[in-house]
Amino acid sequence: MQATTMNFSIEPITHDSVVIRVGKALDFRNAADFKAATQEQVRSGIRNFILDFSETGILDSTGLGSIFSLYRQVSPMSGQVVFASVSRPVQVVVQLTRTYKVFRQFPTVEAARESMR
Amino acid sequence: METTRQSFNRLDGLIDELHSLFDTWESEGALLSHLDEDTIQLFRLAVHEWVANLVQHARFDEKSPMVTLDVIPNGRRVRCIIEDNSAGFPLDERLDLQRLALKPFPERGMGLLMLNAATEYYEYSTSENGRQRLEFTVSADSDPCLNIPF
Repeated sequence: MQATTMNFSIEPITHDSVVIRVGKALDFRNAADFKAATQEQVRSGIRNFILDFSETGILDSTGLGSIFSLYRQVSPMSGQVVFASVSRPVQVVVQLTRTYKVFRQFPTVEAARESMR
Repeated sequence: METTRQSFNRLDGLIDELHSLFDTWESEGALLSHLDEDTIQLFRLAVHEWVANLVQHARFDEKSPMVTLDVIPNGRRVRCIIEDNSAGFPLDERLDLQRLALKPFPERGMGLLMLNAATEYYEYSTSENGRQRLEFTVSADSDPCLNIPF
């Protein structure tokens, strides 16, 4: 079942993996909701997160911070956070902060799913 | 070359208004047509980070918030002036503190640093009319980087 919160939605794909469709914005206005939602997923056993940025026009410093927070939670448990369908506004943030060194990027959600199999 | 001044008098919804403006400028093409798309997005990010900082942290005390945004295309650059009637804050001091406090994979404290990294030049001052004034440029000829510890 797909859960929707604020403007992002979470779609389970395996027992320990989900796709988060980030939606139009991940910024200071909804980063706390993103953090709470992902913490809940981690508590329920999810370790791998595909972030789908295909619709995302805004990723700001607070939004990026909420992704770092998720990464800090799952990486000690051999979990992954990967980016898929990265829009240009998100790519500009990734390039500015050099976070491509941390988060693998895939052209599509399907390609990201394949990499996790 | 076309320039623009936009005025805002409320913080609620300001970010949405701002991005609607950018959407219009990008679709109409005139104001920012001298820049490539990555530079436009970098400029948009810089403006967003500053306005987000205003919305979240600025003290307007008893005053109704007033914010103006001037956008001035300049060759392969864009110059921007954002004025507001908040109490202001010591930007350089805050940037120094945030640089020192930056931990690996930080959750907060990156906004002003991101603005600083995205801009080629900035100056923050109090103008003659007592308003706080941030002026900065974003260049198409730079490869800016914010060094976040990983």
